[in-house]
Amino acid sequence: MVQTDKNIFKYSRRDFLQYFGPGAKGLLFMVVLHALLAGCMKDNELWKPGDAGQGDATQGVFVVNQGNFMYGNASLSWYDIQSKEVSQDVFFNANGFPLGDVAQSISLRDSLAYVVMNNSGKINVFHKETFEFAGKITGLTSPRHIHFLDDTRAYVTDLYARSIAIVNLQTMEVTGSIAVRNDESDFYQHSTEQMVQFGKFVFVNCWSYDNNVLVIDTETDQWIDTIEVLIQPVSMVLDKHNKLWVLSDGGFAGNPYGYEKPGLMRIDAQSREVEEVYRFPKESQPTMLAINDTADTLYYVNGHVYRHPVASEQAPELFVQSPYDDLASGGFRAIGIDPVSSEVYVSDAIDHVQPGLVYRFLPDASPVDTLRVGIIPGYFGFSD
Amino acid sequence: MAIRAIILLYLFVILYDVKGQGIRDSVFELPQVHVRAERIFEKESAGMRQTLIDSLTMQQKVNASLSELLSENTSVFIKNHGRGALATASFRGTAPSHTGVSWNGINISSPMTGMVDFALVPVYIMDEMHLKHGTASIADQAGGLGGSISISNRPDWDNTFSTHYTQGIGSYKTYKEYLKVEGGNQEVQLRTRAYHNQSENNYTFLNRAIADVEDGRVTHPVDTNTHADYKNYGLLQEVYLRPGGNHLVSARWWGQWAQRTLPRATSFEGPDNTNLNEQSSIDQRFVTDWTFFTGSGKWLVRSGYSNKSLDYFQKNRVPGVGLLPAVYSESTSHSYLNHAAYTHQVNEFFSLEGSLDVNYYDVDSRDSVSRAGFRVDRIEYSLFFALRHSFRDRLNVNLMVRQNHTDNAWDPIVPYAGFDLKISQRHNLILKGSVARNHHQPSLNDLYWQPGGNPDLLPEKGMAYELGLQHEQAFENLLLRNEITFYRSDVDDWIIWVPGFKGYWEPTNIKRVLSEGVEVHSLLEGKTAGIAWRTSATYALTRAVNYGDPLVWGDNSYGKQLVYIPRHSGNLLIHMAWRGFQVNWQHNSYSERYTTSSNDVSRRDWLYPYHMNNVSLGKAFSIGMMDFSARLKINNLFNESYHSVLYRPMPGRNYMLLLQAGF
Repeated sequence: MVQTDKNIFKYSRRDFLQYFGPGAKGLLFMVVLHALLAGCMKDNELWKPGDAGQGDATQGVFVVNQGNFMYGNASLSWYDIQSKEVSQDVFFNANGFPLGDVAQSISLRDSLAYVVMNNSGKINVFHKETFEFAGKITGLTSPRHIHFLDDTRAYVTDLYARSIAIVNLQTMEVTGSIAVRNDESDFYQHSTEQMVQFGKFVFVNCWSYDNNVLVIDTETDQWIDTIEVLIQPVSMVLDKHNKLWVLSDGGFAGNPYGYEKPGLMRIDAQSREVEEVYRFPKESQPTMLAINDTADTLYYVNGHVYRHPVASEQAPELFVQSPYDDLASGGFRAIGIDPVSSEVYVSDAIDHVQPGLVYRFLPDASPVDTLRVGIIPGYFGFSD
Repeated sequence: MAIRAIILLYLFVILYDVKGQGIRDSVFELPQVHVRAERIFEKESAGMRQTLIDSLTMQQKVNASLSELLSENTSVFIKNHGRGALATASFRGTAPSHTGVSWNGINISSPMTGMVDFALVPVYIMDEMHLKHGTASIADQAGGLGGSISISNRPDWDNTFSTHYTQGIGSYKTYKEYLKVEGGNQEVQLRTRAYHNQSENNYTFLNRAIADVEDGRVTHPVDTNTHADYKNYGLLQEVYLRPGGNHLVSARWWGQWAQRTLPRATSFEGPDNTNLNEQSSIDQRFVTDWTFFTGSGKWLVRSGYSNKSLDYFQKNRVPGVGLLPAVYSESTSHSYLNHAAYTHQVNEFFSLEGSLDVNYYDVDSRDSVSRAGFRVDRIEYSLFFALRHSFRDRLNVNLMVRQNHTDNAWDPIVPYAGFDLKISQRHNLILKGSVARNHHQPSLNDLYWQPGGNPDLLPEKGMAYELGLQHEQAFENLLLRNEITFYRSDVDDWIIWVPGFKGYWEPTNIKRVLSEGVEVHSLLEGKTAGIAWRTSATYALTRAVNYGDPLVWGDNSYGKQLVYIPRHSGNLLIHMAWRGFQVNWQHNSYSERYTTSSNDVSRRDWLYPYHMNNVSLGKAFSIGMMDFSARLKINNLFNESYHSVLYRPMPGRNYMLLLQAGF
């Protein structure tokens, strides 16, 4: 049955055994046995709750690590501001199951924390002091942020639903929605992002292939007005003078929706009129805007971290220089301001496939601490 | 479908009974195990590490995809995104685009991505498969930094007429149908193969990514793997002509339609009619060859065309509108591939080969929702020259050089020098070695994808060295073959895609990757007490390490293994056949794979070592002219819970029954 090439010499079986010694059969047997016994993979070892590592301290910051799309490796790091200790994976360790896929943002209210899981279509709710799972809000298409209106009602923005979900916080159920369809556009509009409240109105920026900020009346749950801004508004805050600041990334080269210089825009929340526009170099990539607790100083990330007092007429000042030489392939990503101390936290996702870094600075920009967190740290939630 | 399957089952049972009543308990020597000893000392392949997948293995895997064939029988690592889902290959720790794939001599890698989805290439359409490991691949094409895979079809000139039908019925509503009709004479041969595969793929699993709290206790639901169904149809037509003794003309056409839905993240708890992902593709490939033998030379002229349409959409239900695509990406590529080669045997010890390839690619990709897209073309010339010399049946030397010209620029020259030295005539022991340079052009998506493509990317450049020992010996009723190869491949300007700040991914040349390792292959086969048996094992040690400049002080990826490349991998096959009965046992192992570039491991993202056992049992027999066979395959024999990409649980023990009839 075995046909061999003619240039291969013929030997007898005895030659074979002499050649390799009698161990050959034994070796084969061992290999077979090993392979048979090796039939045990370690899936069960993954799923036991561990030590969430939280002490008595309740003043700290949650770092939301987005994780990679479809990897399900989103995680939550907890940083104790007093002791400077970091606990990784606190949600997984406290509960024995993962947060989900693509953690977008976190919002805290009373004793609970709400983590919006973009590609899991849900919001995981947990006790902010014990990290224990408290429930979930499901049935969301591609949720981005949650905004609390009162003890029972919240809005949830969405990338693909073309509506803003209305959620009952007591029952953790979706109770309604606000349609934000723009059927006149050739593009998929509106996908909704961050929310900022002014009186009874909520402003919502629309980032993806869009250049609008929507105005929602929270009494009627209706979309009542639209403000045109620079292309692709990524982030917004409201200052103490009731001015809405909108940071836009300007699109990208070849963007069918347009490509312009990124910029920061000041809008009067009352009149909804644009008052000021600060433009940045076209190739820059601004990512996130934040404001301190007294609502008088803006901070934003545009490769480096910049600071801009809201009353200033000057161009924004460089606050912290990025450690990267080439800003095209790295730089800071997210920013958070401690509402108590006004300290500044900035994240760096490095190559996006390894645990990232968070830098902590005093309000005068002097460094305090550097912490290693999870994959793609993209949002901060302060707990006091 | 089910009715057809049942009828066939009945037919099978009836015929089996008839056979039991004493009709011809004959010939069955396994479905003709035709083991061709590889010629291991040929000047044309001096220095090259090659693997031939033989007909026995092909036959065992007739219902499988190329991804299963490779992962279970070779040292190529397959990253499998789930049962029936996208499968990409890593050869010697390299990226999927570093494995060149050809079908009957034409490149079938997508010009857009530079790679092939191995889950969509059925073993059924192949007669032979050759792997060239490492830079040996430059004999076929430039750019195979990892290696190349050649799939080919060949005629059986002795066949007059035969036909075979195979029906597969498996777990999770999986049905497979294969029909082959072939016939001809010594001058003309026609072969037609048609196939259909489909599966609901609806296995159940304990969903650890979803939790419910009941009475203070956390529970996890048992979920069904939904939105993971797939189906595909295909047809392969071959025509061979042998006018006169010196000419061989062939034409082959392979068309395939494939559709699959892509499962959502297992943690997804959004509305049912949202986040629906689907992919469909139509492939057509046509190749025609003319081979002309002169006294001491051989001309080969080949022309091929490959066309691929790939659509992907993601849809969500929007109230008042219905299902609306949020992503609808349509891409089409046309490849025109031409090759002319001449080989001249100066004498028994000396041969020359020269060839010219002219290839043209045209790609159009667009997303009808975002309206982003690109249309580009590329023209590529490749000139190849080889000189092979044999020195007194002791030393073979193989010198090859390839020069490509892509669009308007000359690529770096690709030289290769390899040797085979017969150390021991008595033991047929050969020392092999080679040194070569190679380079790989960025794919058209790397350069132009919207958004993110980077037209300033540089080609990846590599230097590769290898040294190995090969041994083959036949004893009485025994054949032993061993091979061990050490390699080192140093690639600069390695291309990776990293997420940028604007929410999309961008490719950059940032890495230097050093890939070093050992490949071992061992085969022992023979016949004992009437039982034909074979054991075959491969083992690979792969150190594929990133030595790119750290991005920032805190970048911990320097000096670390690349993601999803196991350091150790191996497989073992044991096959036994006796009077038409056969048993096949397959074991496959990988060590842990990292999902972070820094090789950090937490329980959240640990891909623990993988050990898989599959078994098949079969019986074949003949009644008159007719051949029949039945085979039961049991996958995941020990019914293990596991995943091989993060949070994508794989099926437990599952079955496939294959019934074949033909003559």
